[in-house]
Amino acid sequence: MQITAPLLAARGVSKSFFGNPVLRDVSIALQPGRVHALLGENGAGKSTLINLLSGALRPDSGTIEVDGRAVSRMTPAIARQAGIAVVQQELSLTASLSIAENIGLGAYPRRFGLVDYPELAARAKAACDLVGLHEPLSTPVGHLSLGRRQMVEIAKALYRRPRVLILDEPTSSLSATETKILTDLLKRLRGEGIAILYISHRLNEVMSLCQHVTVLKDGTCTADRTLEGTDAAGLVRLMVGRDPGDLFPRWQPSASPANAISVRNFSAGLMRDVDLDIRTGEVLGIGGLVGQGQEDLLLGLYGAIPARTASATVNGASGLPGGVPKANALGLAYVPADRKREGLHLIHPIITNMMLPAFARVPALKLRSRRAEREIARGLAAQLGIKGDLDRSAQALSGGNQQKVALAKWMPHDPLVLLLNDPTRGVDVETKREIYHMLRNFAAAGKAIVLLSSDTPELVHLCDRVAVVREGRIVAMLARGALSEEAIVSAAMGAGQRKVAA
Amino acid sequence: MNTPSSANQSGALYWPVQLRRNVGVRSLFAVVLVFLVAYGILFPGLFTAAGFAKFTQSWFPLALVAMAQAILMLSGGISLAIGATVSLGAVIAATTMAGPLGVAGGTAAVALTGLGIGATTGFIVVRLRLPAIVVTLAGSFIIGGAALLILPRPGGAIPAWLSDLLAGNTPAAFALLLLIVALWKLYLATPLGLSLYAAGENPVGAYRSGVPVDGARIAAYAISGLLSTGAGLFVAAQTGSGDPVIGAAFTLNSIAAAVLGGIGFLGGQGTMRGALAGSLLLSLMISVMFFLGFTPVAQYVAQGLIIIGAVAVPQFRKVQQ
Amino acid sequence: MTAWIESAGGRRALTVLRSRPFLTVAIVAAVWIVASFVSRGFGAYGHLRYLIELGAVIGLVAAGQTFVVIAGGIDLSVAAIVTVSAVSLPLLSWQADPTGITAILAILALTTAIGLVNGLGVALLRVHPMIMTLAMATFLQGLLIIVAGGSAVTAENPLVHWLGNARPAGIPAGVLLWVVVSVIVLTAMHATSLGARIFAMGANPLAAALSGVPVTSTTLTVYGISGFCSGLAGVLVLGMNGQGYVGIGDPYLLASIAAVVLGGTSILGGRGTYAGTIPGAILLVTITALITVVNASPGWRSILFGSLILGLLLLSGREQARR
Repeated sequence: MQITAPLLAARGVSKSFFGNPVLRDVSIALQPGRVHALLGENGAGKSTLINLLSGALRPDSGTIEVDGRAVSRMTPAIARQAGIAVVQQELSLTASLSIAENIGLGAYPRRFGLVDYPELAARAKAACDLVGLHEPLSTPVGHLSLGRRQMVEIAKALYRRPRVLILDEPTSSLSATETKILTDLLKRLRGEGIAILYISHRLNEVMSLCQHVTVLKDGTCTADRTLEGTDAAGLVRLMVGRDPGDLFPRWQPSASPANAISVRNFSAGLMRDVDLDIRTGEVLGIGGLVGQGQEDLLLGLYGAIPARTASATVNGASGLPGGVPKANALGLAYVPADRKREGLHLIHPIITNMMLPAFARVPALKLRSRRAEREIARGLAAQLGIKGDLDRSAQALSGGNQQKVALAKWMPHDPLVLLLNDPTRGVDVETKREIYHMLRNFAAAGKAIVLLSSDTPELVHLCDRVAVVREGRIVAMLARGALSEEAIVSAAMGAGQRKVAA
Repeated sequence: MNTPSSANQSGALYWPVQLRRNVGVRSLFAVVLVFLVAYGILFPGLFTAAGFAKFTQSWFPLALVAMAQAILMLSGGISLAIGATVSLGAVIAATTMAGPLGVAGGTAAVALTGLGIGATTGFIVVRLRLPAIVVTLAGSFIIGGAALLILPRPGGAIPAWLSDLLAGNTPAAFALLLLIVALWKLYLATPLGLSLYAAGENPVGAYRSGVPVDGARIAAYAISGLLSTGAGLFVAAQTGSGDPVIGAAFTLNSIAAAVLGGIGFLGGQGTMRGALAGSLLLSLMISVMFFLGFTPVAQYVAQGLIIIGAVAVPQFRKVQQ
Repeated sequence: MTAWIESAGGRRALTVLRSRPFLTVAIVAAVWIVASFVSRGFGAYGHLRYLIELGAVIGLVAAGQTFVVIAGGIDLSVAAIVTVSAVSLPLLSWQADPTGITAILAILALTTAIGLVNGLGVALLRVHPMIMTLAMATFLQGLLIIVAGGSAVTAENPLVHWLGNARPAGIPAGVLLWVVVSVIVLTAMHATSLGARIFAMGANPLAAALSGVPVTSTTLTVYGISGFCSGLAGVLVLGMNGQGYVGIGDPYLLASIAAVVLGGTSILGGRGTYAGTIPGAILLVTITALITVVNASPGWRSILFGSLILGLLLLSGREQARR
C-alpha cells in the first residue's frame, strides 16, 4: 500500500501567523483507501493544516503534493480540480436555497448558460442517497435541523466526486443514527479507494473508523503511525503529552433534597407541559437526539424565550424570571453552546468579555474602575488556566479557552444554578477534563448544575440524574443507578417507551 | 465513487423549488389581493383599459426601484443612492433623446450610465471593502451633483411619441414589467444569478464552494444601477421632461417596498416576487391616498406611519407567539 | 530608539499613534496646513475658530450618531430632528420666562421623546433601524410642513441667541457647549457600565442579551441620546442662523454618519469612539469650507463633497472582514 503515491500530502510544512508559529515542519500523507485520523487539542494546528491542504492558505515553507507532484501555488480552485473536498466545521450552506441548489453550489451543471435543473436533480439525488438524506430536494435548507444540514454539507462534498475527502468534526451535531450512517458511508468510500482525512474529538469513533493517525501537539507532529495496537488512552497521551488520568472525576453524591428550581406544566418553544425539579448540589443531565427541545427548556428557564408554566419556584422566588436580567438576579447563569454566536464578543478583548455580566448588573451610570476589573479578570484567568494577554480579542483564543472565558464570566457572581448548553462541544480533551472537575466541584459546593449534552458518556459519568427529552417532552428521568449509554439512547429513540420515576 | 444511479426518478426540480419560494410571501399576496379588490371597488375605473394603463404606469417606476433595492439587499448590500440615480437617468433621457442621439442613443446612454454607476459602486463596496451605506450615501451626492450639472433646473424634453407609448393609454408599462420579470427569472437561472443568494447570506461558505462571490455582488450592483436609471427614463417619459431632483422619494420607497415584500437586511433573505408585491402594495396605498384627497404633506405623514406599521405588525405577531 | 519602543510607555504611545482617532487628527492637521498655504486667510485664527464653531453642530449630531452606530444601529432621522428643533423652538417663546431656558428644555424633551419612539420601534417592534428612522424622518418632514408652513421663523429666545453668538473669553459659546458635551459623552462611553453595555450590544446583541444586558432599555437609551443630541444641535444651529426653516437640518445626516465613520467607528457596531468622531466632524467642515473657496456651481459642489468623503473613506475607513 505504501508503494502507491499518496493522493495528497504535505511535506515539512510550516506556517506562522503574525510571527507566532502555528505549524512547524509537519508532514502528512493521505493514501487512497485509508481513513486517516488527525488528532490534537484545540489550537494544535489542525485547522491550519486543513487550510494548507485545501489551498485556503499557503505554507511559509515546505510543499503540498498532489499525486506525488509538488504544487507550487496551491489555491482552492486547484484543490477542487484535484478532487479535494472539505467538509468544514462551519457550514457553507445557504438557508434560502433548496437542498439541491446548495449541493451543486459553485459547480452547477449548465445547459445554454443556464443551470441544468434536471441534471442537477439527478446528481444531487445520487449524493443525497449516499448519506441517507431523503427530504425532497426542493426543501429549503433553512427548514432543516442542524444535524440534517451537516448531512447536506457532506452530500455537497460527495457531489463533487472527491478523490480526497477531508472532514472536520463532522459528527459534532449529528445524532447517533446519523453518525452511524456516516461511518458506514466512510467505510464504503474507503473501499472505493478514496483518501479520507477525519478529524474528531470522539476517540471511540476514531478507533472504530480509522486505520492511521497523525497527532499534532503545539504545531508539531508527535505521532504518524498506524492505529493498530493503540488504545484510546494511548491516543490521549499522544495528544496531551502526558498520562490522561481519568477523564471524569470520581462521582460522589452531593445532591440535597432541596429544590433550586421546580416547575409544573412548563412550556417554552418546542417543550410542552414539562414537570421538572432541579435539586441543589446535583448535576442534572439533559439528553436526547439533537433538536428535540432541550435548548428551549434551558432558554425558557433562563427567561431568554417566552415560557408558560402552571407553577414555578426558582431559588425561593415564585414564578419564572421572565427576562435574563431577572434570571441573573435570581442566581441563574447560562453558558450557550454556540460560543461564537451566543457566548462571546469575539471582537472585544478577553477582559471585557469576562466583565460583561458585571456591567449588566451594576447601575448604568456607575463609573468603571479599570484597575478593579483587571484584578478580577486576572484572578479568573488564573483560576481557570487561561493564559496570555487579557487585552487580546477573544477570537484569538482556541475553542477550549473561549469556552473557559464563557464560563469564567459568571464566576464572580457565584450563581446558584448553572445552565450549560453542550459546554464541551468541540473542546479538546484537556479542557474537557478541567470543565468536568469544575462542574463536580460546583455541585459539591451546593450549586445546581443543568448539563445539556450531545455527548452521552458525559451524561453517564458526570450526572446524578438524566432527563431524556424527545419531541418536546421528558420521556425518561434516569436516576444514577439506571444510567447507562444504552438506557439514554433507547429512551431518546423512543424504544421501549419506559418511564422511570425520578 | 459510485456511478450516478437513480437519474430518472428524481423528477422535475425547477418548479418545486419555485413553488417553495412562494411559502414566505403567501400572506403578502393575500393582503395585496384584498387591497387590489378594495381599490377596484372604490375606483371602478381600474378595470377599463385606460384605468389599468394609468395604474400600472404609476406602479412601474416603484416596481423597478424596488427590484433595484431588493437585488442589492439579497446580495447583502444596500443603496441610499437609488433616488439620485433615478434623477440622473431622467435628466440624461430628457437631454439626449430630443437631440442628435435620438431615442435609441438616449436609451443606450441611460442604460450604460446605470450599469457604469452600479458597477463602480459595486467595485468600491465589494473590492475596496467599504461599508455600503456610507459609500452610497456619498455616492448620492456625486450622482445627484452630476444630475444638477447636466440639467440645473427642470427642463429638457422627451419625444411626444415615446411619452404617449410609455405613459399614454397603452398597457406598454405593464408589458415592459412582465418582460423585466422574465429577464430576471432568466438571470436567476444562470449560475451567477443563483449564486446571488449564497453570496449574500453566507459569503465565506460560498467562496469556499467555488462561487465567484465578488463577481456576483458587483453584478448585482450593476443590474441595480441599470434598473434605477431605467426607472428615471420612464419617469421622464411620464412628465415629458427632466428634473434633477425628481427621484428623491425613491430611496426611501425602494427600501420600504423591498422590506414590505419580506426582503431582509442581512442578505439572501426574501424573494423578488415578494419585493414586487411590496411595491404594488405601496403603490396602491399612495394611489388611495391621492384619490381620497390627501395633501402631499399628509401623504408623507401617512406613508411614514404605514411603513412602520406594515413592517412592525408581522414582527410583533412573531414575537407574541 | 528601539529601547524606547520596547518600554511600556513607548508601546502605549505607539498604540495611540497608530489609532484611528489619531490618524483623523493627523489628516485634519495636514489639510489645514496645506490649505493655509494655498488659500490666503484660511489659516487665520478667526477662520479656524469659525470652522470649529461650524464643526460643533456636526459634532453634536454625530455624538448621538456615534452611540447609535456603536450599538449596532443607525439613525437616519437626525436631520429631521435637527429641523424639528430649529423650527419648533421659535414657536415656543414664553413671555413668562426671560432666559428662554424653559423653551429649550421643552424642545429637548420633545426631541428626546422622538428618539425614544425610534428606540421603541427598533427594540420592541423589531423594525430595522434604517426603516424605523427613515420612516420617522418622512413622518417628521410632513409634520413640519404642517406646523411651520414653508416660511422661515425667527428665534427671539435670548439663550438661543447667546449660544449662537456669544464668545465668553474669546471662545464661541457653541464650541464651549461642544466641549462640555464631548466630556460627558466620552465619560459615558468609556467609563461607565452603560457604555460597556452599548459596545457589547453592538458587537453581538444575542450574546449581550444572554449575558444579562437589558437590551430593550439600552436601545431606548441610545436612540434617546441621539434625539437629545440632534435637538441640542438644532438649538445651536438656530442660534447661529437666527432663523429656522424646513430643510435647515438636511446637511447633517450625511455629515453625522461620515464624521462617525471617518473617525474610525465601525458601521457594523461594537467598535469605535467619540474621540475619533470629533476630528471627523472638524474634517468635514474643513472640506466644506475648501469647496466653498473653490466657488463652484451647486452640482460641482455636491460632486466634490461626495468624492472627497469617498476618498477619505478609502484612505481610512476600510472595514476589516468579520467572522
